[in-house]
Amino acid sequence: MKALLRIAHLIDYLNERVGHSVYWLILVTVLISTGNAISRKLFNVSSNAFLEIQWYLFSAVFLLAAGYTLKQNEHVRVDVISGRFSKRTQAWLDIFGGLFFLLPMSLIILYYSWPFFTHSLLSQEWSGNPGGLILWPAKALIPAGFLLLLLQGIAEIIKRIGFLLGIEPPEPPSHPPLSEFMDASQKEGEA
Amino acid sequence: KEEALPEIQWRMASSFPKSLDTIYGAAETLSNRVSKLTQGKFQIRVFAGGELVPGLQVLDAVSQNTVQCGHTASYYYVGKNKAFAFDTALPFGLTARQQNAWFYFGGGLQLMRELFKGYGLINFPGGNTGTQMGGWFRKEIKNLADLKGLKMRIPGIGGEIMSKLGVVPQSLPGADVYPSLEKGTIDAAEWVGPYDDEKLGLYKVAKHYYYPGFWEGSANLSFIVNQKEWDKLPPLYQEAFEVAAAEANLIMLAEYDAKNPAALGRLLKGGAKLHPFPKDVMEAALKEANKLYNEEAAKNPAFNKIYASWKRFRNDEFQWFRVAEATYANFTFNNVK
Amino acid sequence: MSASMMAPLMFASLVIFLLIGYPVAFSLAANGLLFGWIAIQLGLFTPELLGALPQRIYGIMQNETLLAIPFFTFMGLILERSGMAEDLLETVGQLFGPLRGGLAFAVVLVGALLGATTGVVAASVISMGLISLPIMLRYGYDRRLASGVIAASGTLAQILPPSLVLIVLADQLGRSVGDMYSAALLPGLALTGFYAAYVLGISLLKPAMAPALPPEARTLKGFALLRKVLFTLVPPLFLVFLVLGTIFLGIATPTEGGAMGASGALILALINKRLNLSMLKQAMNTTAKLSSFVMFILIGSTVFSLVFRGVNGDQWVEHLLTGLPGGQLGFLVVVNILIFVLAFFLDFFELAFILVPLLAPVASLLGIDLIWFGILLAVNMQTSFMHPPFGFALFFLRSVAPKDDYLDKMTGKSIAKVTTPQIYWGAIPFIFIQIIMVGLIIAFPNLVTVEQKKVSANTPLKIELPVQRYDAPTEAPEFTFSNDGEGTK
Ligand code: NA
Ligand code: NA
Repeated sequence: MKALLRIAHLIDYLNERVGHSVYWLILVTVLISTGNAISRKLFNVSSNAFLEIQWYLFSAVFLLAAGYTLKQNEHVRVDVISGRFSKRTQAWLDIFGGLFFLLPMSLIILYYSWPFFTHSLLSQEWSGNPGGLILWPAKALIPAGFLLLLLQGIAEIIKRIGFLLGIEPPEPPSHPPLSEFMDASQKEGEA
Repeated sequence: KEEALPEIQWRMASSFPKSLDTIYGAAETLSNRVSKLTQGKFQIRVFAGGELVPGLQVLDAVSQNTVQCGHTASYYYVGKNKAFAFDTALPFGLTARQQNAWFYFGGGLQLMRELFKGYGLINFPGGNTGTQMGGWFRKEIKNLADLKGLKMRIPGIGGEIMSKLGVVPQSLPGADVYPSLEKGTIDAAEWVGPYDDEKLGLYKVAKHYYYPGFWEGSANLSFIVNQKEWDKLPPLYQEAFEVAAAEANLIMLAEYDAKNPAALGRLLKGGAKLHPFPKDVMEAALKEANKLYNEEAAKNPAFNKIYASWKRFRNDEFQWFRVAEATYANFTFNNVK
Repeated sequence: MSASMMAPLMFASLVIFLLIGYPVAFSLAANGLLFGWIAIQLGLFTPELLGALPQRIYGIMQNETLLAIPFFTFMGLILERSGMAEDLLETVGQLFGPLRGGLAFAVVLVGALLGATTGVVAASVISMGLISLPIMLRYGYDRRLASGVIAASGTLAQILPPSLVLIVLADQLGRSVGDMYSAALLPGLALTGFYAAYVLGISLLKPAMAPALPPEARTLKGFALLRKVLFTLVPPLFLVFLVLGTIFLGIATPTEGGAMGASGALILALINKRLNLSMLKQAMNTTAKLSSFVMFILIGSTVFSLVFRGVNGDQWVEHLLTGLPGGQLGFLVVVNILIFVLAFFLDFFELAFILVPLLAPVASLLGIDLIWFGILLAVNMQTSFMHPPFGFALFFLRSVAPKDDYLDKMTGKSIAKVTTPQIYWGAIPFIFIQIIMVGLIIAFPNLVTVEQKKVSANTPLKIELPVQRYDAPTEAPEFTFSNDGEGTK
């Protein structure tokens, strides 16, 4: 179990690093979008590449940060009923959901998205828009994102089992942005 | 010795929304006819663009057998190979009748099938829009220089040619086209012809309606079928599919030809102003198109092979159509009331 | 199990799956995949159909309109984090201070303004939740009222143009987006008015739910207050200009308007000397996580709806519609009840894609104008965002509302968390308002301005063409056929 928990914490670290890296792309996307609009108006200079890179980058953010978001427990839940259960029952439900919801979903989408990506890579497929971008990097984001999500799903299951065995703290309460900001002082050092 | 017909159910992914009723309708035409020809044993259920897969993913979906067949415009896939454009439209290409002549008697269908075969597909011509319009412009285009820096929503090879003429192609999301054209964020946008354009309402925000859409002298739509699924069909069903595709091919063009005049009349009453593209625009575009074809042919064997056949055929057709068709059209269309 | 039972079973089991409390995105997907597996066992489709999954996810990625989500979220966070949003609402609070419900009016107003800039409900609800919820909680607003007014005002994004919802509806009805937009304007403004009227009613009948600011919070008076108001109004007006003005001036597309606003918020924070690395990182971090959860709900529902179509669930819905009682009014009443009920289970896009193509031909046959019909549906479907327990606006608000008690930064007081039932109950009065609006549109069809097309199909067509000859018609044609020997020159 100790070894498993070590793996789980390694995955935590991995997704934490990935999440903290890809969030910069939000800023990049905002700046590209603004810059494209201004240069198009002022200098009549633009390209479909500038339009396409925006959804490439945003896709990188939301797909690659999915595991990180799970780790932070910020994928929204309907907690009207489960919110009343004990921490132990919630841990059991999380293990159940991880095993029967998250893992199968991630595996199935990984299975189908891999050839989707490799076909694009091997055929060097480009965007059909004039001046557009090559497509495989965008298509690669799907298997990459779901792999990170799958790994985090495994880590969460291990950690919940660890909690039931009494050797791991319970799942962190989700940190919705507001509470994060309310006690910003203690989080200042993060990232 | 009568064999019982097997029950077969297929799904067909269309690239088009139901609101493009004439184009989408071709898939329904095929589905209905196939069912009737096989006593209801071979059923093809049609799904509009986005219902099963996004409209631009239809070729991939049929190729991977996600669905058995699809209805699409092959030039959506020029990002895979520019040669796909020969199946739909190339700037200064064939008219609808000439495109069919090339497919059925000029070796065109055979050449296109060689290309589709590489993706595990077999294709059937399945509809045509006829000559399209050149789209909606906020300002009049008086000469080639007026295109410089013009922001236009125009996809594909047509967009590529336009960008050589100084146009800035912007493939905006569908939702942004109307408001962007309204406010002048973009200066022009092209779609299909009067019947479909009317529904977008672009004439309210950009009233200069240009013709001809030289990048789509006609646009052929195709049915594509996964080759393995095709091979599994009983010969009778294959015949039924082929007959129905040919019917859909005929019907769509007839429907457009019947609906466009009244739609154009309504657009003109709504304030649209008709303009032909200036001659220097046409000439410059033709020059750029020829240059692009030669460049692509030099580096793309598939393109080169089809281009050779297509170009020779186009020359012959254009020569012949100048004689009786064009002269007849020129006199009667202008003089008979 | 027969195929016709699959669709209703999918809905029923979805409810159970979601109530387990596992993240919504994965429960939606898992529910879809479970039924996909059953359908494969029953021979309703083959595993290849699931190959559509990456293609559908890719379709979501390519949808550039959804860029509004990170853009507006990021803008909201920078505003919030730099204290500018607080300044604004604080000042508005001072201004409306003596007025009960003042803050709630401000939320409705800001919601309508945001709604007029973005067509994406997620972006609107999230940024409003971030900016206004803490302030309303600070001054003791009823939690149900506070969350209800935010969720509802956020859904104004879908009825006030520009709007993703109206675009989809226009497409499905085969009508122009422009016509749809102008027709939606009046009902959208009317709804805004109704929301405000509800707030007014509450502040009159149950003043404790929407208190005026306490005297100690109303520190500014007279000229000082006026100066403060003018001073704090500059930054938001600057942003409104960036978001809306750049669209109107033809600089930015509606999608890019969001990016303009986000860049503007950064510039304002820089000018106010409140921009620092830690704050920037927090804003990006939170934007990334919120975007991920919102987009994964879309991914989850795309898995669900693929299988739903695979088992012919859309045909099941169609059968429900056949045999409706005749007559315009009968049709309208049944359709609205049906959509209202289905909105408990289906999100807007599924309703639009499954139902509208089935309803439109029937409506057309009954002589109902399709634009008017589209607006009626849009107002009704707005409830699909607010329906507990699966309304998307409620999910979005839940994600930004405090789940634990916290210390308010300004007053140092402990503030209780917002519970999920509070969010649900808060939405219900606004659902009633939507129902009233639907009734009003049916009773007074002129509320929806529809431009009439007056061209009769029988008028002979006469087109004057400008002269443009590309040819040189007097020359005899030259022939160069490619077939050897047969061409003449
Ligand atoms: Na076109
Ligand atoms: Na809006």
